[in-house]
Amino acid sequence: MAGSGSSEIVHSTAAQYAPYILLLPMLAFPVILFLGKMFNGNKVWKETLKEGGLIALAFMAASLGLSIWLISDFIGAYGGVEKLSDWTWFTSSMWSTGVVTTEITFGFGVHIDHITVMLLFIASFLCLLINTFAIGYMNTDPINDNRNHRFYAEFVLFCSGMLGMVLADSFLWLFIFWELMGLCSYLLIGFYYERPSAAYAAKKAFLTTRVGDVFLMVGLAMLWSLFHPYAGVGEGGLDYSVVFYEGNIDKVAASNAGTLAWALGLMFIGAVGKSAQFPLHVWLPDAMEGPTPVSALIHAATMVNAGLYLVARMFPFFAVDSMHGELADLAFIIAAIGGTTAVMAAAIAFVQHDLKKVLAYSTMSQLAYIFTGLGAALYLANTLHWHEYLPDGTKNPDYYVNHGIVIVAFGAALFHLFNHAMAKGMLFMASGAVIHEVHHAHHHLHPHDDHDHHQEDPEELLMLANYLQDTGQSVFGFFNAIDLDQSGYIDTFEFQKALKEANIADLPPWEMQPLMAALDMDGNGRIDVPELELTLGRIHLASLAGGDDHHDHHDEFDAQSMENMGGLASKMPLTATAMLVGSLSIMGFPLIGGFWSKEGIIANTWRVALDDPRFFYPAMCVLLGAGMTGFYMSRMWLKTFAGSPKTDVAAHVHPTNTWIKTPLFILTFFSLAGILFASMGFTHWAPDIEYGLMSDHGGLWGGFVYEMEHVFANEKMFFFILTYVALFIGAVVGPGLALSLYGGKLDEGEEVLPWFGPVLALNQLVKGRYHWDNSSFGQSGFATALENRLYFDHYYDLAMLKIVAAFSFKAAEADSSVIDGTVKTIERTSQQLSTKLRSLTTGSARDYILMAALGTLGLFALIWGVVA
Amino acid sequence: MEQIEPFAEGFVLALAPEFVLVIGLFTLMIVPNMGDAKFRIPLTQIRVPWLFGGKRGKLDSDPRLPGLFATVFFTIAFGLSAVSFMGGMNKTQIITPGGTTMLQIDEFSRMFELIFFGALALASAASVNRLPATSRADRSLNGLYNNRRQVDFYILLITTGLGMAVVALSQDLFMLFIGLELASFSTYVLVSFIKESKEGTEAGMKYFIVGSVASGVGLYGLSLLYLWSGSLQFADLSVAFAENGMEALPLIALGMLLVGFGFKVSAAPFHFAAPDAYAGAAAPVAGLLATASKAMGVLGLLRLLLVVASPEATEGSAVWLVALGVLSVITMTWGNLAALGSTNPKRMLAYSSVAHAGYMLAAITAIGALNWEEGHVDMSNDAALVVVTALIFHLTVLVCFKLGAFLVLSLLESEKGGHTLESLGGLAKRDPFLAAAMFIFMMSLAGVPPLSGFVSKLLVIMGIVKVALLDVTVNSDLVFSDIHWVWYLALLMVINSAISVFYYLRVGLVMYFHEPEEGREGPLPKGMPVRFAIIACLATTIYFGVGANQLIALCEAAANALVGAW
Repeated sequence: MAGSGSSEIVHSTAAQYAPYILLLPMLAFPVILFLGKMFNGNKVWKETLKEGGLIALAFMAASLGLSIWLISDFIGAYGGVEKLSDWTWFTSSMWSTGVVTTEITFGFGVHIDHITVMLLFIASFLCLLINTFAIGYMNTDPINDNRNHRFYAEFVLFCSGMLGMVLADSFLWLFIFWELMGLCSYLLIGFYYERPSAAYAAKKAFLTTRVGDVFLMVGLAMLWSLFHPYAGVGEGGLDYSVVFYEGNIDKVAASNAGTLAWALGLMFIGAVGKSAQFPLHVWLPDAMEGPTPVSALIHAATMVNAGLYLVARMFPFFAVDSMHGELADLAFIIAAIGGTTAVMAAAIAFVQHDLKKVLAYSTMSQLAYIFTGLGAALYLANTLHWHEYLPDGTKNPDYYVNHGIVIVAFGAALFHLFNHAMAKGMLFMASGAVIHEVHHAHHHLHPHDDHDHHQEDPEELLMLANYLQDTGQSVFGFFNAIDLDQSGYIDTFEFQKALKEANIADLPPWEMQPLMAALDMDGNGRIDVPELELTLGRIHLASLAGGDDHHDHHDEFDAQSMENMGGLASKMPLTATAMLVGSLSIMGFPLIGGFWSKEGIIANTWRVALDDPRFFYPAMCVLLGAGMTGFYMSRMWLKTFAGSPKTDVAAHVHPTNTWIKTPLFILTFFSLAGILFASMGFTHWAPDIEYGLMSDHGGLWGGFVYEMEHVFANEKMFFFILTYVALFIGAVVGPGLALSLYGGKLDEGEEVLPWFGPVLALNQLVKGRYHWDNSSFGQSGFATALENRLYFDHYYDLAMLKIVAAFSFKAAEADSSVIDGTVKTIERTSQQLSTKLRSLTTGSARDYILMAALGTLGLFALIWGVVA
Repeated sequence: MEQIEPFAEGFVLALAPEFVLVIGLFTLMIVPNMGDAKFRIPLTQIRVPWLFGGKRGKLDSDPRLPGLFATVFFTIAFGLSAVSFMGGMNKTQIITPGGTTMLQIDEFSRMFELIFFGALALASAASVNRLPATSRADRSLNGLYNNRRQVDFYILLITTGLGMAVVALSQDLFMLFIGLELASFSTYVLVSFIKESKEGTEAGMKYFIVGSVASGVGLYGLSLLYLWSGSLQFADLSVAFAENGMEALPLIALGMLLVGFGFKVSAAPFHFAAPDAYAGAAAPVAGLLATASKAMGVLGLLRLLLVVASPEATEGSAVWLVALGVLSVITMTWGNLAALGSTNPKRMLAYSSVAHAGYMLAAITAIGALNWEEGHVDMSNDAALVVVTALIFHLTVLVCFKLGAFLVLSLLESEKGGHTLESLGGLAKRDPFLAAAMFIFMMSLAGVPPLSGFVSKLLVIMGIVKVALLDVTVNSDLVFSDIHWVWYLALLMVINSAISVFYYLRVGLVMYFHEPEEGREGPLPKGMPVRFAIIACLATTIYFGVGANQLIALCEAAANALVGAW
């Protein structure tokens, strides 16, 4: 893929190994799956290798190592240069228009620039940490026993999908890896596929994102049709080197600017689906059905960032002069969708009781912030003259100012992506730790309520045992009577009929499955006499022993509900700290993580709003959203960690294990280090190819001073006021409301780490003085609407049922009669032909020679025919 | 180019791999017969150890010894060929004192020798303890445990290898025929080697009868050619064909030779004995028939059609174009359709190998369709190079996955399975490694990326398409009706590949979702050498898929040696 574009090919050693960053996890996938199948239940496999967790960890660590090598190489030696490296699968010369021996290369190239590097770090780093967390989380829960290898295998495949998407050098590969992620998220959300809710959530996530993907695919097809005439030899029409080459964009813009805008708009819909934005957001909360590491993986590290990455990748189209002003509407749409989602998701988060769901909505809301920021940045890039030379070739007088504005706006959005990924990854893992420990405490206190529902004997079998007892039938006699075909086995049909005739139950076939499973000891799908006799005997005995009482306190304890928590700050100090830091980062609390980027996004959206009044809508949304974020994040922390324990379970929670603690500990530092990244000039570096880290503003300290000045003492009055308004709303009003409503003093005698002191004291103070009754709000119709997620799911379901399902039935009919019919006919005909042909192979050598003789004559005839 | 007379300086070195096999032949004859026999010097009481005969020692009566020996010799021959191929090939000819070229050593012949020796090494490794030496349950098979009988087996393998090497090297139709017959006769015996079983003997017999008829026809064609031109040298024949190839005599000869080689590649309708032979033979032998033996047939066809009756000789396209095209259509369709309904995995693979023969014939047809008129020669040469490269690539990777599949069946055979699809049932539970390996082989046969089977199919199809569109697209837009009809061969290949997925996947279905047959629940025999050979096949199947470029480069060098010599 010779770079005909602006990108320069640099072959650094690290870049040569870049494909292995994604190949290693991809290789781990079959390894773990295969070993897991082979050694399932093996002691060494289970305890030493953590059912594949450690193998995954080793591969992810290697992948991270390579990433860091590449990143340091990139920042150090080649900082600011785009690089491409090629990994050719195979090359073959092939026909192409007019030219006979065009080399066609089937391969995968790597495109590396600042955005790639940033996301590469996020993805590989968080994947490794989440893997560590997963070992502590998954392997200690007996419900996952003997199937963790499936989790780890799907996990590494997911990671390789993300890494591949980030590294890909063309939109085609990006799409392929995008879909790989979609598949893996389906598998992982549905990890507990035996739960109908998980299966439903997996399906929902898959189908909803698929809606976006269809648009993405159409958009990419349009993009290809626009650009492929300009692809050089050996280049694909979707290669970055083709589509991002300014000359090519100019040519397309001259003839088809409108089509390009449509293509980008359709691609943006794909991003909306993947990043769970309004109106394709419905899948994300349900995706919490997956195990918590999956939530962390999908909602922080990887999949949701894919949509943002795609939009960020579109930047060059907005940046060129030839598209000047053409894409402003699209930029507004991006910002408006972001603004809407930001407020909507935050509002829904107000009323959630489930810890993970609060985080899910918070994710949605924060991603919406990034979309808004991207929208603003893209608007600026598209409408300002920010290149060194004006389109007419003269020197741009406003170059320095405008360039800075665009770059910082884009950088703020990217920086928020980074901060949010780190904070949200941590928050999910911390919430996982809480849930894990609450669950264990509950398990410890109420050992009877384990989740082995499927171990319970179906009621119908007890009735059957009683029925046999009452009528005095022997099991053997009964068996023979119901074994209609005298096969010695009972199948589902026969058993169903027998139950019906005995007046026990008339069940549809699918409800027979649990009964069959309970009886079928050897798992062969049929029941023989000993199986029936043993099972019924056991059930009868159990019922005589009166063991029914353990049903009594079978309350539905929800380990994820914040109503069951409270006061955990003293029980899980590290987790509480991590959660606190993460929450503050998300809230945009001054100097911590997300503050730097969030302020940037708000400021830049308002900057655009001054220019284009339409943008007042997203600008108001993000400002309002800041306060709402402050409220729901504080509410979540306070309900979980402050106050006195709301249940006896919460009072018996213990600190969590090292596997879980380690990533929390590391990420706490990363969230706190937001100030460090900001001082290094991250917001300038991420979007600007020519900018090196710490190159402006005189090193780290200079950068720090610059950033502080810029934020807290902006020379422009408008931004000065805006900063303090945003700060007031986000860090005072929002949290203040939460402090007055929730939390409170810990129980007497509970020790806490010193830094919780002020928080809890403040909480006590505010709650004592300003507590008010919000129950009227809680009972209002609006709260109900929020609890029902603003009825989106309801209406989507309705629409599905009314329109799609009706259409589906028709389509299914056509499918079974026309398409299936055709296929079946072909299959039947081929099989008949096959039988005919094989019957010619009679087994007699005489016939064979006869056929050969016929063949010889045929050959002669054909040769003679040509010659004559 | 270097020319050497037999037994002159450099002769042995040039033919080192072949001489290694000859040494192996004698070693196998001698070593297992050595004992403690002593020779008494007449009229004295002095006994001198004489070693031939008497009671054999522990080592040389080990039944596994011949197999190991054969494997080692094949591996050495393979290594020597590889070294001479990779280490800067020097084209060498073996000529008679009269100046006739007998053998030629170049990249092309060495590449084919690599295919032959590689397949033979894998097959002999897989046969080392195919019949476990400790079991004495079935008395009638006892004879086989005897290593003298094992020796026979490996001696035949080595003669097969020698015959194939001669075919690869020959520059003369007569030499080629001798090699072909040496290899063929050895395989006839190998097919019926398990003489205790009825199927084996019958299959061998049928294979022999039909094979001899085909050979006889071919030999007759050969004699007609000699009668016509007075020489059997490829170079001479090529010139004669270009001058007056449209006469009746050479065309009849060509048709007859096509029959002979058609049988070797098992093209329909000369393939009938093949399914019987594959099903009756031991699995490694059947694997050899499907890979090395087939490669030998294709090699013969390439020499005959592209060198002797070369398309350059006639105006427009080759004289055999239509005949071969029809043959390829019938062959690939017949093979795939027949494989659809086969329940015996070995028969299924046999039919699939018929289908593969069809694909290869299609590729050769495409070369025949090239236009060799003035001004087109360069382009046609390029295109022919691409197609021949694809063909050699296909033959090479076929050894990896087709032989691999047969080797997996050979492990099942050692517990009397492998003759019905159901005997593969539950293999995933019984032996996950074997099931995974078999599944990958099947996927590769079906042509699933990124396995080598996919690359090989893609290269062949692309080559054919390229040829079909060659004349159409020079400075003009594509007009569908101008496309050469060989394009339809590529289309048919795609359709046939789609059909073939059905029966390949069915193997996976049975292995993973069916329960084991009764009496087959236990684990499979260990058989380390077989497993080692399977791992080698598996690794190369995947490696030549993912890292296809390296093998393509080798194949291109080989193809260049052939195409450049036209």
